[in-house]
Amino acid sequence: MSQARVSRRNFLKLSSAAVGAFALGQALPAPVARAARQAGLIDADGDGYLPTMCEMCVWRCGVRAKVVKGRVVKLEGNPEHPHSLGRLCARGQSGLMNTYDPDRVLFPLVRVGKRGEGRFRQATWDEALDIVAQKMLEIKEKYGPEAMIFSSTHNLSQVQFENLLNGYGSPNYGTQRSLCFNAMVTAFLLTYGVEEPARNYDDVKFILLVGRNLAEAISTSETSALVDALSRGAKLVVLDPRFTKTAALADEWLPIRPGADAAFLLAMINVIVTEELADCEFVKKYVVGCDELPQAMQDYTPEWAESKTGVPAGTIRRMAHEYAAAGHNAMAHPGWRTSNFINSFQTERAIATLNALSGNVLKPGGCLIAASPEASGVPLGKPPQPPYPRISALRLDGVPWKYPLVPLKLGVFQEMRDAILSGQPYQARGWFIARQNPVLSLPDRNRTLEALGKLDFIVAVDVILNDTAWFSDVVLPEASYLERYDPLNVVGGKIFIRQPVIEPQGEARSALWIYKQLGERLGLGNYFQYADEEDYLRQQLAPLGLSLEELKVKGYLDPEIERKNNGEIVFNTPSGKIEVYSETLAKAGFSPWPAWEEPPVPPAGQFYLLTGKVAQHTQFATQNNQYLHKYQDEPRLWMNTGAANSLGLKDGDLVEVTSAVGSARIPLLATQAIRPDCVYLTPGFGHLSKGLRTAYGVGASDSTLHVTYTDPVSGGQALSQTFVRVRKV
Amino acid sequence: MAQKKRSGFVIDVSRCIDCRACLVACSAENNVGMKYTRIWVRDLGVKGEYPNLQRTFVPYNCMHCDNPPCTEVCVSGATYKDQDTGLVLVDQEACIGCGYCVDACPYNARYLDHERGVVDKCSGCIQRLQIGQQPACVTTCVGKARLFGDLNDPNSEASIALKNARTVQRLDYEKDGVHTGPNIYFINGEVLEDASVLPRDPRYPAAEATWKEILVPAVLAGIGLSFVGQATFFTKQLLEGEKE
Repeated sequence: MSQARVSRRNFLKLSSAAVGAFALGQALPAPVARAARQAGLIDADGDGYLPTMCEMCVWRCGVRAKVVKGRVVKLEGNPEHPHSLGRLCARGQSGLMNTYDPDRVLFPLVRVGKRGEGRFRQATWDEALDIVAQKMLEIKEKYGPEAMIFSSTHNLSQVQFENLLNGYGSPNYGTQRSLCFNAMVTAFLLTYGVEEPARNYDDVKFILLVGRNLAEAISTSETSALVDALSRGAKLVVLDPRFTKTAALADEWLPIRPGADAAFLLAMINVIVTEELADCEFVKKYVVGCDELPQAMQDYTPEWAESKTGVPAGTIRRMAHEYAAAGHNAMAHPGWRTSNFINSFQTERAIATLNALSGNVLKPGGCLIAASPEASGVPLGKPPQPPYPRISALRLDGVPWKYPLVPLKLGVFQEMRDAILSGQPYQARGWFIARQNPVLSLPDRNRTLEALGKLDFIVAVDVILNDTAWFSDVVLPEASYLERYDPLNVVGGKIFIRQPVIEPQGEARSALWIYKQLGERLGLGNYFQYADEEDYLRQQLAPLGLSLEELKVKGYLDPEIERKNNGEIVFNTPSGKIEVYSETLAKAGFSPWPAWEEPPVPPAGQFYLLTGKVAQHTQFATQNNQYLHKYQDEPRLWMNTGAANSLGLKDGDLVEVTSAVGSARIPLLATQAIRPDCVYLTPGFGHLSKGLRTAYGVGASDSTLHVTYTDPVSGGQALSQTFVRVRKV
Repeated sequence: MAQKKRSGFVIDVSRCIDCRACLVACSAENNVGMKYTRIWVRDLGVKGEYPNLQRTFVPYNCMHCDNPPCTEVCVSGATYKDQDTGLVLVDQEACIGCGYCVDACPYNARYLDHERGVVDKCSGCIQRLQIGQQPACVTTCVGKARLFGDLNDPNSEASIALKNARTVQRLDYEKDGVHTGPNIYFINGEVLEDASVLPRDPRYPAAEATWKEILVPAVLAGIGLSFVGQATFFTKQLLEGEKE
């Protein structure tokens, strides 16, 4: 026991010695969470366990937080949450260091130096919010509401963020989605009418992962389910130009040529339909285009695909046979971040089609859940609000006037940045950015910085001074996910809560509070009709007659909802069926069938620059977390050992990587674990903000290298389509 | 009389994905300093020739030996084998920070915490065991590679996994006729045939900044040489021996 006492004291000493220059006058340790004490979750000494929800990525695992004397000391996966099932990944485990990061922004900041100098002064909330509101009203009056861009990476308070932008009247809504899953979501919406089909590993026998790196891009319960399935003897085939840690789990790793996944998949479809190996009964009943599919696929033979993919025709044919033999126990995984090439939409359409042929959708034990026979939604309430003002201005990101099939809520983020620079179709003037770091996430960082330079006003909401906040005029400090409430989240028919485990440190405040305060100053108070966070949650629970107090104690509620299920399977597409042939695509001028579109290849002497994931970090947001920093690998540029030898490079050499738009310096990792025509740069590093003292100076940013290419159908940025030269420094 | 407990880890190397949730969980649970680590995941490296590659990850920590060399050299009596659990523990109130045990451990599973002036290592999260929880690394393991339990109890989850394992390996170390009898069993993967899993270079630069200060290179080399060739025992024999 004395051991724990000593080390805790040291821990406190360590964190108070490291008080940030930006956390001007750091507050005393946060008081014990009032609401938790009232709910009986924390005793008089400030000790207890509280159920809440993780926010280290978007999987949103259930968490049990251990609190000792009002301080969070440990997080555990909540066994009762279907996304954690009692476990947390490295990021989830590190979450307390997100809260106790010595670089937390704990007070509103107003810029005093030049943009990018990082010189700020502390302001009160009233002053900071008044400045933001005044600037936003000025822009609205002078240039119209459309001159203001709003962007935020998806989170549970997004619904109130959307109230802010829609109430204000701007059509310009930026998300991270076009840098992530536009191709997957758009393809599955068009084919099945669902954004993201659920995966079921219970009886899976054959798993095809097309670049889905579940061992490093971890969704805790799904990653566990994959490893369980492999232990039970399921076969795993991984298509990836890189030998990832997922590939290391695979029975077969196929190092396919980047951009050629669709050719591999189309050839599998060709074999299955030509040899009549599909689940005919299912396909005839539920698939639009089943009769014409063999003809539409006739050119995509395994021999043809071999020339595109570098995978032998015999292997492709064997994969088709094994996939088909597994019947509805086969899964072609839809993937997640599928923004790789301008043909990534076609890759996803081919994956959607392959699943349709196996009949794995909806069958008992089937591996994909892409339609719902029941009304599974839980009818949560929400505060009343007036309708939004009519918005007539075009969206700067080209949706739908340039990208007709991209869903409005996905958008084309990179296009929005380019519109700031071009001033077309009109000039943007301000940018409201919440929990997002476009300086590092968007391709071509120099262009992003140039775009920021063209704006009159930039405001950022974040818990730390990330690179975008560093270039902002006002920074509004958000409470960390362990310090605040967010709107409720429904998973598997149960309602889960995120609740404050400790009171916010310093002057940090929840997004629900920040958006309401700002909304009221903008004259939009009617869109924020809740007294405080708890009132918001109570209004959500009201129609169900459920109690917030019970929810706070249990962490979740399981409402008894009468679910309608008449047994009829209906897909939410125009035809009500799975649209392998899509009339919608045809009308928009695209191929109605999954089709091959030739991607560019690197010129001689250049490499594909691949991006990817490491299990210790989430995109560009967690590199300053000291626990994750402690256990991360040094960021490197991976190159095949043979390719390195032929360039006279050896492991550990400092190299310069140069693309058409920028260059970066980074040590080389010479490895067998990558195709000889590719390099891979550990993503997420190369931060510009000196307010991130743990992360600053570590690694290089691939966004300095990425060239902006947009998939014309889904709007996804082609993140692996940049070609680079590499030389020794 | 009830049989004594023999607490140990069973590690299914086929399930480890090197996500390092265990490492962060251990650090948070035990307030391990930012410059130190109590547990590791050894990367055996990318083996084979492109494109026929393999890569195996081996989580490990203190082996909680039957005959721990560390307790033999401890001058203050701080390091001891706990009679109730069978865990090898350090009483940090009594530890004088001499570091002899750090050098004596053939598995490099201990470190000297310079800030606190004491030796630290895996404690099996005894503070969790006492309230009926599993060690933090085991609870959170995403691949379910780490199991912990009483290896003398045939019904413990760890013992059952061991009984059903395809392969079992144990990194025994023998010196002057004494076997350490380590209580980590690696299952379902032939990974340690050259015993190169330990000793090893630091893997986490940030967490092992002081590693080289702790281990005198000559000692490291000496252990390394004596280690190769005698460390690995297929434990079917050992297990059967112990059952008698």
